[in-house]
Amino acid sequence: MRNLRRDRVRRLCRVSIALCAWALSGPALAHKLKVFASAVGDRIEGTAYFAGGNKASGAIVVILDADGHDLAHLRPATDGSFSYQALAPVEHRVIARTDDGHQAEWRITAAELRPAFGGTLAPNPSPSMSAAAPAITAGSPPEVASPPSPEPVGPETLSAIELAVAHQIRPLREQLAAAEDRARLHDILGGIGYILGLAGLTLWWRCRKTDARA
Amino acid sequence: MAHIPDAILSTPVLVTGGLVSASLLAAALRRLDYDRVPQAAVLSAAFFVSSLINVPVGPSSVHLLLNGLMGLLLGWTAVPALLVALILQAAFFGFGGILVLGVNTMNMAVPALVCALLVAPWMRRLPAGRRFWGGFAAGSLGVLMTGLMVALALGLSADAFTPAAKVLAVIYLPLALVEGLITATIVGFIQRVAPELLAPVESAHA
Repeated sequence: MRNLRRDRVRRLCRVSIALCAWALSGPALAHKLKVFASAVGDRIEGTAYFAGGNKASGAIVVILDADGHDLAHLRPATDGSFSYQALAPVEHRVIARTDDGHQAEWRITAAELRPAFGGTLAPNPSPSMSAAAPAITAGSPPEVASPPSPEPVGPETLSAIELAVAHQIRPLREQLAAAEDRARLHDILGGIGYILGLAGLTLWWRCRKTDARA
Repeated sequence: MAHIPDAILSTPVLVTGGLVSASLLAAALRRLDYDRVPQAAVLSAAFFVSSLINVPVGPSSVHLLLNGLMGLLLGWTAVPALLVALILQAAFFGFGGILVLGVNTMNMAVPALVCALLVAPWMRRLPAGRRFWGGFAAGSLGVLMTGLMVALALGLSADAFTPAAKVLAVIYLPLALVEGLITATIVGFIQRVAPELLAPVESAHA
């Protein structure tokens, strides 16, 4: 009888260990939903994913303008990517959410979209080219501003350059955003350290109290 | 998922969650069983790390919750253990958030307490060889109740309750099964190596 029970427990152990192994062998991911988007020309292209790498194809992506007006509802493709044709160079908020309560947000500034709508990054090229830069993502303004060419660069050339640069740095920015949210070993160890420290503190507190009473 | 991020829930839900969690915490601290603090720390650490191992299911991804097991083994001490782990998850991993901490704690702690107050006494009456059924019940009940409470919190904040509930049912039913099996294994193992952990005298420190 006892052997029978032990066998059963053993079998259960084996099943669960197999399940654990299956769970562990899958991608070890953090499950925070993230969204990345950038302006490429007049399109907003982006990806919805779970921090750590998995694509969130089941998410819903909502595009809002700065005042919170609903512009579009998108369904990402199986690789989590989506794209949206911007209608005006205004600030866009890209919100991804899943039905079970994950939500993430990304902001596209008006300056990022401006080149595609005829404007340059700064309204007047010569005086305020670098002054307008802080609001814009790093990368594009120095390339545009630095070569002091004798004849002024036409707006078409400028926007072509900006489009090309945006294309080139997009994967870099995406990787950077993804790397920021990966859980790292020192985070895990730090958390466990905090827990053990708190437990130690509680026990010390208790010892002190019993000592005082004695 | 069990970690609801900031900026999703409505204020009444947040306030309710905060109040419920605060009162649960006060009750738990008043009857804190110091002998279980080391166990609580170990389980809290396990809970903290388990959220990193994710399996994609449907439109989302799931991880073990372990709140049933914590309720079963820790009793009321599970509440501070869960709260500490949730704070650290929010701080280190960005899961959940600070404003929703109350709601998230409530969603995890209430099922843990149900397991502590209903499942644990039932399990202790079972013959030793069958106690893993108690583990199974606690594991799956913990997940199902947490899922239900998450769905309620989301449903009360948005106008549409059904999509959230549907997705959560799809996600949580398989998770409940897996979690039940794993909790059963752990309980079966503890029963063999350290059965005194499963039969603590709840009233001695209450």
